Amino acid sequence: MNKYYGGFHALRNIDLSVARGEKIVVCGPSGSGKSTMIRCINRLEEHNSGRIVVLGTELNDDIGNIDEIRREVGMVFQHFNLFPHMSVLENCVLAPMLVRKLPRAEAEATALRFLEKVRIPEQASKYPGQLSGGQQQRVAIARALCMQPQIMLFDEPTSALDPEMISEVLDVMVTLAADGMTMICVTHEMGFARRVADRVIFMDHGEIIEEAPPEEFFAGSSNERTRQFLAQILNH
Amino acid sequence: MADLAPPMPGMVEDLRRRFFASSLQSLISLLCLGVIAFLGWKLLDWALFSAVFGTAGGAEACQAAGGACWSVIAARWRIILFGLYPYEEQWRSALACAVVVAMTVLSCIPAFWTGRRIAAIWLAGTSAFYILMKGGVLGLSHVGEEMWGGLALTLFIFVATCLIGFPLAIVLALLRRSELPWISSTTGLIIDAVRSLPLISILFTFAIVLPFALPHWLQGDKLYRVIVGSALFFSAYQAEIVRGGMQGVPHGQEEAAMALGLGYWHRISRILLPQAMRNALPATINQFVIAFKETSLVVIVGFFEILASGNAAYGTGEWRFAYVEVYTFIAFIYFIFVFSLSRYGAFLERRMSVGER
Repeated sequence: MNKYYGGFHALRNIDLSVARGEKIVVCGPSGSGKSTMIRCINRLEEHNSGRIVVLGTELNDDIGNIDEIRREVGMVFQHFNLFPHMSVLENCVLAPMLVRKLPRAEAEATALRFLEKVRIPEQASKYPGQLSGGQQQRVAIARALCMQPQIMLFDEPTSALDPEMISEVLDVMVTLAADGMTMICVTHEMGFARRVADRVIFMDHGEIIEEAPPEEFFAGSSNERTRQFLAQILNH
Repeated sequence: MADLAPPMPGMVEDLRRRFFASSLQSLISLLCLGVIAFLGWKLLDWALFSAVFGTAGGAEACQAAGGACWSVIAARWRIILFGLYPYEEQWRSALACAVVVAMTVLSCIPAFWTGRRIAAIWLAGTSAFYILMKGGVLGLSHVGEEMWGGLALTLFIFVATCLIGFPLAIVLALLRRSELPWISSTTGLIIDAVRSLPLISILFTFAIVLPFALPHWLQGDKLYRVIVGSALFFSAYQAEIVRGGMQGVPHGQEEAAMALGLGYWHRISRILLPQAMRNALPATINQFVIAFKETSLVVIVGFFEILASGNAAYGTGEWRFAYVEVYTFIAFIYFIFVFSLSRYGAFLERRMSVGER
């Protein structure tokens, strides 16, 4: 799969397949195309050549296909992107009610179940602006889960958080991984990668440089660029 | 006890600090106070104590008095409020005003903000207004649009302008941010073209020139053409206000909605517009106020809205001298409507700021 921004070749010959239940951690220096790659999976970015197949459906210009894939793929953003004009509960029931056509009672029950799972059921009636960053990100995870997706994409979920809030979000993600969710996470949290990843992918300049299980990846890579990157983020 | 904030100064102490801190400041404060008291007394004396209220003495007794001559309002209020509308039928015009006000008030209440309720209110309101004013059915005698006037006409033009212009503004704003360049640039061109014309020339074109260009069945009465023109003008300005509000909504909001699988209309109606309208609220209320006051321009194409019928009220015969009183009265009516509008805007702002830190 390839992606261009004008004359800039943003993603080069990406060839990646993810099995059901697999947890992938994507890392790499900024501007290396990590976010762009996972944003292609639910068509927030359009790819220019090649094929993307999600759950057996090919992503192309067919709006029906795009909608179908977006229903099954949840996404968590760096800046949470909660809807500020709605309460936490409303944030969670909106898409299930409008897209999955669930009755309100059922959608609210599901929402409360997932809010409990991310450990903030008591904040359901508050507005996003009244919560801390870590709480907001956990609500964002619950909101995505309420659509009962089969795949979850995480785009640097802890990068905008204060250090003391990172672990509460990572804990939720670890629980999610233990439940068998298929996850693709762009993150620099290497501890998280060690604990849950089945494969770690290292990207640079729009290319997948290396793809390895975490033990192998951290033990000492054969690739010069990977070693440099790891040295920079691990030794500080 | 240590963590208590220091006590706020009392009112007397606060006034002393602000206005009487030094002897020079005290002098200036006293002087200003004197001027204000003098002007206030003069105004009260003119408006109330030396004013004439009854019509008993007629215009001459009224003119001889030292204060305001409110008799002109008592004598001519029907012309001011109803214009040329037939005298015996003016209760219909009054009722129609009440209908428009009720319709506006109801559609301002959040409990009625569902598509079906709003549509029902507007449909019932406008048809009740139209039947009351125009007649010809239900035993009401027929009164042509050229006879409509005064407050009823002002309110009707304002409300109709907003009812047509506001949805049109949202449509224009959405088209302007279309991803198809030819749609966004054409919309931009239309908006800029309308904004570059003075309202007067648009009203004149729609009222006088358009009939030559349109087939007869499409013309409608002059009043409706004028309303369409003023709605178009309103929508061009309001579209830019809405677009500004949309620009204040972070791009991530729409991305999050897309990632959740929401379709275009749901993204627009549930995510983008509620946040955009909140950003655009102060400018929107401003635009409504301007639209209300600009209804007075329809006089140039021959309609007697409230300002023009006020002119007629003192312009003929014995009350010629009492124009200040008539204009004060009309200003008061304008004030009531515009002030309610801005209070409503403040209410909406408070309501929408729920959840802000």
